[in-house]
Amino acid sequence: MIKNKTLGMNAEERKAYYLSLLYLILPIISTSLLILLWSTAANNSEFPSPNETWERLILLFQEPIKGLNIFGHVWASLIRVFSALIFNWTFGIAFGILIGWNVKCDALFTPLFDAFRAIPPLAWIPLITIWFGTGEFSKILIVIFGSLASIVVNTQAGMSNIDQLYLNVGTVFNANERQKLFQIAIPSALDAIFAGIRTSTSAAWMVVLAAEMLGANSGVGFLITRGMDSMDMPLVLASMVAIGIVGASLSIVTQFAERLLCPWTIKRSN
Amino acid sequence: MENKSGSKSLSNSERIKLVQSQRKRTKYQNNMLSVIGILGFLIFWQVITITGLVGSRYLSPPIEIINLFIVKLTNPNPDGAVIGVNILSSLTVALSGFGFAVIIGVPLGLLMGWYKGFDSFMRPLFEIIRPIPPVAWIPLTIVWIGIGLPAKALIVFFAAFVPCLINSYAGIKQTSDVLKNVAKTFGASNFTIFWKIGIPSSMTLTFAGIKVAIGNAWATLVAAEMLAASSGLGYMILMGRQFGRVDLVILGIVVIGIIGIIITMIIVMIENKVVGWKKL
Repeated sequence: MIKNKTLGMNAEERKAYYLSLLYLILPIISTSLLILLWSTAANNSEFPSPNETWERLILLFQEPIKGLNIFGHVWASLIRVFSALIFNWTFGIAFGILIGWNVKCDALFTPLFDAFRAIPPLAWIPLITIWFGTGEFSKILIVIFGSLASIVVNTQAGMSNIDQLYLNVGTVFNANERQKLFQIAIPSALDAIFAGIRTSTSAAWMVVLAAEMLGANSGVGFLITRGMDSMDMPLVLASMVAIGIVGASLSIVTQFAERLLCPWTIKRSN
Repeated sequence: MENKSGSKSLSNSERIKLVQSQRKRTKYQNNMLSVIGILGFLIFWQVITITGLVGSRYLSPPIEIINLFIVKLTNPNPDGAVIGVNILSSLTVALSGFGFAVIIGVPLGLLMGWYKGFDSFMRPLFEIIRPIPPVAWIPLTIVWIGIGLPAKALIVFFAAFVPCLINSYAGIKQTSDVLKNVAKTFGASNFTIFWKIGIPSSMTLTFAGIKVAIGNAWATLVAAEMLAASSGLGYMILMGRQFGRVDLVILGIVVIGIIGIIITMIIVMIENKVVGWKKL
């Protein structure tokens, strides 16, 4: 079959054709190598094999842990992530626009904000649990602390990197400050804001996991600690798989939303 | 040539002087505003704790934190190590994990960005690892290699590895075709082009990745030390939480923040040395 296809090609084209076939096969080889390595490593130790992990994952769908199956736990984590993100997207973008647009506010708030940003989000966890206990609110607060910085920084960068030419055009056409802000500055900072939305989403997903690992009764982080406490390694791996899948889908969704809302960024990235 | 009051026209040098003094004044004003912002926050913090608006169980005043820092320099209680030892152990973990991430991640990214076959071989493996947050590796690493230095370094490695790889990959992909073609015209081999053109032109983005990586490494370190450690700043914070010592928790947070800033400054200095030509 391959012979038939390559029949009408010269040597150069044939080489390119074989190379493209090789590029198709190589990912399959590497993935199967990984699975093979995993299986052999599992054979000689207590470590669960891919098969056991898969079965545990299926079992998670059927048999609930603490009254929730895997969807319930993922949903519990997602609700925490989204309630934090809704706050961050409103407050964070507004704050970013404020310090990116107004020089005085920038001078007043940026050093303070940078000082807070230097503290890793997870370091807040003990302090927040001292203040607000270990309830739902403190988990959401931890996620807010963890994902606020990226959206503010991106918005601020987008607002202060606006091409001066656009603003000058606005001045020439007699635009007042408010028109310049809402009709020139914010739209042209939109792709930077979206980059912030993307990074804040993935940061939030990471932080919610850590927050749940340090004490929770639901959520994917709880599943992992539960697996560790009961020495149920297949459960740990199965929840890692679930976390990876949800994290990847979150980034795909935000990317899709970006393309929908600011389609001009596609052209730039290609 | 007349100013608003209509009295006198300014010569060019006078005008320059005027603008310069105005700039200096705004710069001075902005610096003052920055100082006011930070001082205002500290005073606010001190006032609400001293007046008892917020109970001492929840927040200690900043002056007490500074005192505690001085005490902790020599006194190992209550977490079992003086602050210098904690800082040193945290730095060892963070820097060894980060170092391995740079040593492995950057070359891997460069090779993947340059050689297409290698890219299609490695990409699926990388895409499997990438979406899993570093914190999720903690239970697995504890089972594999316990809670010693290698385990924590491995967790930090996972956090720092991804940005190193992605940025060096993107950086070398952006190598200008003109430069590559010039080299080809002069008879350079593919490897020479990679070595002499691809790598230098990828350096700006690679350094951006390294900066993200050190931030990630330092942030993940806290999580690693909270879940599995017997010393270090994260452990100190956790112990402060368990003994209900809010001052210890805040001290830990402040020290972590300050060290994070210092590390970032060092990386920026190295960046300016290595890719200083970019700023010409």
